[in-house]
Amino acid sequence: MSTNDSEEDRTARPPARLLPAVAVFAGTLLSLVGWSWDIQWHTDVGPDTFFTMPHLFLYAGSALCGITALVVVLRTTSAQRAGRHVDPTVGGRSVRVFGGRFTAPVAYLVTGTAAAAFLFYGLWDQWWHGLYGFDATLNSPPHVGLLLGNVATIIGAAMAFTALRAERWGRIGVFASFGVLVAFLPIPADVFQQVEGPVDWGAVCLACLTALLLLLATAFFRRPGSALLVAVSVAVVQGVLWLFTPWATVLYADAVGLPMREVVSPAPIMPTWIPMSVVAAALVVEAVLALARARHWSSRVVAVLGGAFAAAVLAALVPLQRALLFDVPLPPFTEVLLYLAPGCVAALAFGALAGVVAWRFGLVLRLLDQPSAAAHGSRTTTSGATA
Amino acid sequence: MKRALTTVLSVAALLLLSASPSWAYEPVTIVHTERVEAGPYGITVGFGRWPIRAMQSLDFTFTPDGGREGKSGVVEASLPDGVAGEQWPLARHPRKPEVWGLDIQALGGDGQWTFRFTVDGPDGRGVGELAGVTVLAQPGPPLALSWSVAGIPLLALFGFLVVAWRRVRVPREQLTAV
Repeated sequence: MSTNDSEEDRTARPPARLLPAVAVFAGTLLSLVGWSWDIQWHTDVGPDTFFTMPHLFLYAGSALCGITALVVVLRTTSAQRAGRHVDPTVGGRSVRVFGGRFTAPVAYLVTGTAAAAFLFYGLWDQWWHGLYGFDATLNSPPHVGLLLGNVATIIGAAMAFTALRAERWGRIGVFASFGVLVAFLPIPADVFQQVEGPVDWGAVCLACLTALLLLLATAFFRRPGSALLVAVSVAVVQGVLWLFTPWATVLYADAVGLPMREVVSPAPIMPTWIPMSVVAAALVVEAVLALARARHWSSRVVAVLGGAFAAAVLAALVPLQRALLFDVPLPPFTEVLLYLAPGCVAALAFGALAGVVAWRFGLVLRLLDQPSAAAHGSRTTTSGATA
Repeated sequence: MKRALTTVLSVAALLLLSASPSWAYEPVTIVHTERVEAGPYGITVGFGRWPIRAMQSLDFTFTPDGGREGKSGVVEASLPDGVAGEQWPLARHPRKPEVWGLDIQALGGDGQWTFRFTVDGPDGRGVGELAGVTVLAQPGPPLALSWSVAGIPLLALFGFLVVAWRRVRVPREQLTAV
């Protein structure tokens, strides 16, 4: 196919655009379900091996993402070498990697690298368990590496869908993958619970990253309601995990003949970590956006105010949610306020910063479906994406 | 194609067979025991590893004389300076249901740990301690090194975002418009 082909010919057929993005998204869902199930398993049942069903879910999820990314990169490289047009809606603009030996759409480059990192940390985790045993410690260094690999994979899935924003299922995919990302964030953010001091850094981290994603969606779609749709997507993911996780844990324990512990968690563990206050934070973002439109404020004001206040709302409500759902008795009101205040102040500052970063990257993502020099069949381009 | 599929399946089967010990739930093997008198209740405390090292998980069993029927309570493990400690209900061991226990549990730091038992039963409440349980330093590389390796994806992601920020030019009017 030459570069003079019509626009219709230059665009990959729908299955070629749809399938890789959906496959990567399915992989991220498998991993999310696997983590939620595994955490519940350790708490409510206990005995562990490398080949438990939850482990297979989370490893299969990353494998699906990695294989999909590899196939897309190889196809893109092949097309580029043959001088054929590379459709930028398949994973966004392409970049040259390994000195130009491969041409990779940036979304699948992120996904593939993340899946490879996951594999590396999986092997390290095996070694770690050989040395330390199969203790159910979520916050071990290899586990955190695995979780960060998963986070990057979900980011790759979201990028793959953002490149398809011109199509309805592409936009749906963006909301769905943002929902999965927000739902996943509490697991890696839990590592900050180990940090001592007056600030609940776990809650602040979760609050700021969630606010960042709400602002990112708003900047990307540039229309009211985007943050709210992300919140709806989070609620759907949370609802599904809430129902699935305890059910699958009991079913699997019965299937392998293991009893439930005498003392089990009062609520599904990982689903209760997902903030229910995302809706409130999204309403804050929507209100700031509406105010800015009515009064002709700059988007920078939306980014700073939206990020700061959305993060502060989340930082205040996340610890309360955990206390209520896990039947932790609350101290007097003033003590609750004194506990929450430092976290809210930190969230205001870091949330404002997150908002600025989010707005910029929301606009960057809008340019992802623009072709790059690397994708034009030219062999003279040396590296990198171009503006 | 058929040959390639056969090769892949053979390799997968070999991998699974070689990994077969990982399929099985390990039995609880006690290699060391200690005695505690918690008031009227005698308890035999079993350890799945001995000596114990910090962060290295092991099985603990708590076997009350006369069985655990009709009894309940908690066990609290702590270091003298209070920097580490945890409390668990005395509950059935998941892989040795006839006794109380903790499965694959690690103690966070090295030092002289104390296990304090509070047992409620037909003879009322009894409290007893097993003090001076030596936990050696953690095995393996220093934690700072391990955490540094764990943080590599975060640094890579941050680097990627910096590159994207610098390379992609967003039109100025888009940066300010709502």
